[in-house]
Amino acid sequence: MRRVSRIRAIRLVAGREIIERGRSRGYLLSLVFTIVLMLVGFIVPTLILGQTLTTRLALVGTPPAGLEQALTAAAAAGTQQLVLSSVPTRADAEAALHAGSIDAALEVPADLSAPGELIVVTDASAPLRAVVDQAVVGLRTGENAIATPVVDALQPQTAEDATASLFANAGIILMFIGIFSYGSWVLTGVVEEKQSRVVEVVLSTVRPRDLLMGKVLGIGLLALAQLVILVAVGLGVAQIGGRLALPETTLGAVVQLLVWFILGFALYSTTMGFLGSLASRAEEASTASMPVTLTATTAYILSIVVVQQDPSGILARVMTFIPPAAPMVVPLRVALGAIEPWEILLSIALTVATIWLLFVVGARVYSGAVLQVGSRMRLRDAWRASR
Amino acid sequence: MLEIRNLTKRYGAVTALDGASFSAKRGRLVGFLGPNGAGKTTTMRCVFGLATPDSGDTRWDGQPIDAVTRLRFGYMPEQRGLYPRMRIAEQLSYFGQHHGLTGREARAAAGLWLERFGLADRAKSKLEDLSHGNQQRVQLATALVHDPELLVLDEPFSGLDPIGIATMAEILRERAAAGVGVVFSSHQLDLVEEVCEDVVIISRGRVVAEGAIEDLKASSGRRHLDVEVAGSGGAWLDGRNTHTVLERDGDRVKLLVEDSVDLGALLTAARDAGEVRRFSYEPPKLSELFMEAVTASQPVREEARA
Repeated sequence: MRRVSRIRAIRLVAGREIIERGRSRGYLLSLVFTIVLMLVGFIVPTLILGQTLTTRLALVGTPPAGLEQALTAAAAAGTQQLVLSSVPTRADAEAALHAGSIDAALEVPADLSAPGELIVVTDASAPLRAVVDQAVVGLRTGENAIATPVVDALQPQTAEDATASLFANAGIILMFIGIFSYGSWVLTGVVEEKQSRVVEVVLSTVRPRDLLMGKVLGIGLLALAQLVILVAVGLGVAQIGGRLALPETTLGAVVQLLVWFILGFALYSTTMGFLGSLASRAEEASTASMPVTLTATTAYILSIVVVQQDPSGILARVMTFIPPAAPMVVPLRVALGAIEPWEILLSIALTVATIWLLFVVGARVYSGAVLQVGSRMRLRDAWRASR
Repeated sequence: MLEIRNLTKRYGAVTALDGASFSAKRGRLVGFLGPNGAGKTTTMRCVFGLATPDSGDTRWDGQPIDAVTRLRFGYMPEQRGLYPRMRIAEQLSYFGQHHGLTGREARAAAGLWLERFGLADRAKSKLEDLSHGNQQRVQLATALVHDPELLVLDEPFSGLDPIGIATMAEILRERAAAGVGVVFSSHQLDLVEEVCEDVVIISRGRVVAEGAIEDLKASSGRRHLDVEVAGSGGAWLDGRNTHTVLERDGDRVKLLVEDSVDLGALLTAARDAGEVRRFSYEPPKLSELFMEAVTASQPVREEARA
């Protein structure tokens, strides 16, 4: 009879998780569920943001006669609401745009000698353009009748910017969902093993730390496989649809996303695993993992609210070096192109060190708690009960 | 040979093991007996590294037991547990591989044991879809799949029907005959008396009796005397103080006597009273030895308080 090396034991545990869970309906369902959630994650913000149907439009200088009425009439025909005002010069219009007191400005020569310009900050929405085009064209007669105003963006958004932002959002949603759905597999897996008492049979040959490690590794690989599938499908669809111009930073962003997914998963699911070992029944598992859930949710919300608005701000920089937040903050900053290489490296180092620490502490708590029966254990007792 | 040497284990204020020592030889069926809470499960857990004794050690074939040694052991814990949703053949093969079998060996062994337990056609069933008795069989197969040198089974007979008990006993005998050490705990003392050669009785964390059942019986000072004298109504016993009457049933009396008793004198007295239809002199049953050993181990202080 051979001796079973620790690596083989970890591989066996991981293999069992992959086979047992990979062929379960739960895995497929979770894949579908994630795709749906991701779509919702994209669609809902655009719906909410796209709902600003009232546009504050300023007319520059002396507009052609009847433009105001034409605009109002065109707007009334559609869903686009207009609040009209006027500014004396183009400079005033730009100042007002920067200040945010108007959303767009329209400058058309009074004699209609030129197509005119629609001035915006980043981009003019399609409904706004439609209304403006219809009104201006309607006023004209003769040769230039079909010439529509040119859109002049003060800070034009490039395709790369759009893609980067999309990417950052997708990445952080995937990260959050991955940590929650697969992290909770680790959690419930640990509790089920404890509850069904099979852990006593397993631990008669496997070290507790190896069992925990194998479980995190196996479920993590499944999660990673799902992420790779999702990213590949997403990029594929984007390419075929021709909707996204993939920036040069795509490859780097994908690599960073995968690296941080692995780190984030290891960090969170290890914690969930050993906290789960404190619970004695499945119903207690969510209570036991509450601190992790709260931390992850806070990190997620801060990332989308704070970091996305100001990716190089002080808070974003600080969060980069807080390991529970780093897996969400860093890929976001990378995708937005607002991070220094040294920040990435230091953040990775800090996170890896934290994972190692969690494994050392966590494995001890785990081995102390997992063989106990009875009521929920306290962290301190589990630490002491350990060998 | 399995040696348990001076094991001590405390859980907070509770002393689970208090210097327990015994040994179990290869090729012998050893019954590990004791009241609830006596330390049986803790002892087994110490053998499998699931609990670390405060002091003392465990040895197999003279060597301290470590993680590598344990791979050659098979364990069936009292709290049964396997993966409920895992197919049973894969489950057996999984545990076989954890004990050092290659994937191929483990699959072959799993098939063999399922065949042996009449579960070959259920190989792809999930454990939770099996009946209670069949789940119990899979649990035993898990302990056997890697052909262990030592089997430690916590209450293997509990919850089994008479056929299950017979199969279990047959397999344990067969393993012992193959030179495997077999130690199992049980509260079914008559069953243990029938199946086992040796017993270890533990009480309050200490071993209070150990050895071959025959030797323990022989060395016990008590004997059972079952006498039936036709038409006597048991009156021939009056005036004698060499015995304790356990039961009177018409002409038949069951007595407890010391092994130093003058049997000849008793027989003569019985003959004088009438026709002796029964006169049997037997050592005590295992259950009595057990009660005796366990009661003797109860501290006096505790009894006084009660």
